[in-house]
Amino acid sequence: MATRSLPILLLALLGLLIANLMFGAVSIPFKSILEGFQVGNANYFTVHEYRFPRTILAMLVGAMMALAGALVQGVIRNPLASPDVLGVSHGAGLAAVFYMTFFPDADIRWLPAVALIGSLIAALMLWWLCGQHSSTIKLAITGVALAALYASCIDFLMLVKPLEINNALLWLTGSLWGRGWNQLSMLLPWLLLIPFALWLAKPLNLIHLGDDSAISLGIKANKLRLASLAIAVGLTASCVAICGPIGFLGLVAPHLTRKLVGGRHQILLPSTMLVGAILLLLADLVARTIDPPIELPAGIMTAIIGAPYFLWLLLRTK
Amino acid sequence: MKRLLSIALSTLLLSSSLSVQAVSSTQDSIKNSVEDSKGTFSIDYVPKRIVVLELSFVDALAAVGVSPVGIADDKDPERILKEIRKEIGDWTSVGTRSQPSLETISALKPDLIIADISRHEGVYADLQKIAPTLILPSRRATYEENLHATAIIGKAIGKDKEMQARLKKHAQIMADFAKQLPEGKEVQFGVARDDALFLHTADSYAGGVIRALGLKNANTGRSDDAYRQTSLEQFLAVNPDYFIVGNYVTPSIVDKWKNEPLWSVLKAAKNHHIYSVNPNTWSRCRGIISAETMGQDLIKVFNANK
Repeated sequence: MATRSLPILLLALLGLLIANLMFGAVSIPFKSILEGFQVGNANYFTVHEYRFPRTILAMLVGAMMALAGALVQGVIRNPLASPDVLGVSHGAGLAAVFYMTFFPDADIRWLPAVALIGSLIAALMLWWLCGQHSSTIKLAITGVALAALYASCIDFLMLVKPLEINNALLWLTGSLWGRGWNQLSMLLPWLLLIPFALWLAKPLNLIHLGDDSAISLGIKANKLRLASLAIAVGLTASCVAICGPIGFLGLVAPHLTRKLVGGRHQILLPSTMLVGAILLLLADLVARTIDPPIELPAGIMTAIIGAPYFLWLLLRTK
Repeated sequence: MKRLLSIALSTLLLSSSLSVQAVSSTQDSIKNSVEDSKGTFSIDYVPKRIVVLELSFVDALAAVGVSPVGIADDKDPERILKEIRKEIGDWTSVGTRSQPSLETISALKPDLIIADISRHEGVYADLQKIAPTLILPSRRATYEENLHATAIIGKAIGKDKEMQARLKKHAQIMADFAKQLPEGKEVQFGVARDDALFLHTADSYAGGVIRALGLKNANTGRSDDAYRQTSLEQFLAVNPDYFIVGNYVTPSIVDKWKNEPLWSVLKAAKNHHIYSVNPNTWSRCRGIISAETMGQDLIKVFNANK
């Protein structure tokens, strides 16, 4: 199963990478794309300064969010789990909205840092409330409750300061608009988390047998959970800080991948990164080309693609 | 993947150093320096292909007969005043004001971009890679700030003299309007959506225009915001003599309120001093031509009332 899916996924990824470079408000033929990488070419800005970094960013963010989702689903052992149940993206959202509404004149360049701090505080808050030894269900429920609390604070801020709603809503939907080399370089250090996540694949398989079996097979279940969730928090926080909380990606991508390649984490984790990258590339491509020159936020597209798929999945598993 | 990225990054560095040299080697034939929201902006040619990312900048260009090649008009040409549309002719839409399409802007090959500090600060660096970018306040700008920004635009596009003359004429027109309007009457403008009324306070653009026309702003209480969402009861506390409403939808919340008993207690309702105007002109456009249109609207309102 896996051997058949992987080449197809890789081909799809390659095709979407090229399509993202070719299409947009202005279509550029494939040959001109290569020329567009040369300084001084007519398409230099569009290809090299704009589409290329944005495409790479979409690929990385998609992959990282999907990986975070697979890790969380792996340790919480609940199909509805996603990085959202950790309250991380809502924490980032609250920090970002607070910054935008109360400091409308402040430099927008600090926004990723503010959002990052918000999400890390949210993660620490969850850890402080649950501690290291509580059950995964307690963790998930506390996380969801905290997320709801942050969401209501966001709503309150937006109601109190309706003037800033537009900017805040735009950020909260998650978008790749205007993100380029700067944002890409901010994301690069966080890529270091990926090998650590992949290294956890084998023990994650064992934890699926249940805590008792895993412990008897020599797995330190609590430490593994903490490590996986910490990595998931890092991956999600870095992505959300840059693009805003792009919905459904961390939930749908691992599900879709499990359908394609099965549940062995050695294959699941790398494949889910491919699927996540494909989904976000597709979402951003559609968002940019559906009604040019209007640019929709990619987060709307992932929700449009993700929500019905998820419903279908739920109905079918019944 | 990483190698590709490092190659790409190094070409980026190389290219930016090359472009810096290119800029510094140009000679100063004509040089216009102005202060924009990010510091000193200099340009040494008269821009021919201008892209503007807010509607107030279109107004400023049209005031001195300059046509932009691209406008962030939310893909709706009607957002530009009819008078201005006639003046500037055809343009290409570059998408929404909140997220303009940088590809479309780049494809237009502009030699000047005018952006809004409130909306476009995040992409200022990218815009500068496309063309020299003048960044000024538009959203949330007051009437006075708008006049100041308009003067800066005039200087940056090499039409300083024309713009100063136009601004003088504008002041004259507004003073003439003020003479035709009763002095010191209390006028409040608000935009009505389906579910909310937003009063434009003394700190808003419309509030400034109302004062410039010799009229008075109603006291809206708290003065920390340019726009204030108001319930019917709060609106009764404001209780302006004249109420000018721009309905973004019909029926708006104001139409619904008209059936409420509280509404009939309003001074403006009792004296039939409620008038509707084009919300686009009054709220979105913000510029000297729209301010003059707003003045004409008010004269119509007060003449109908004689």
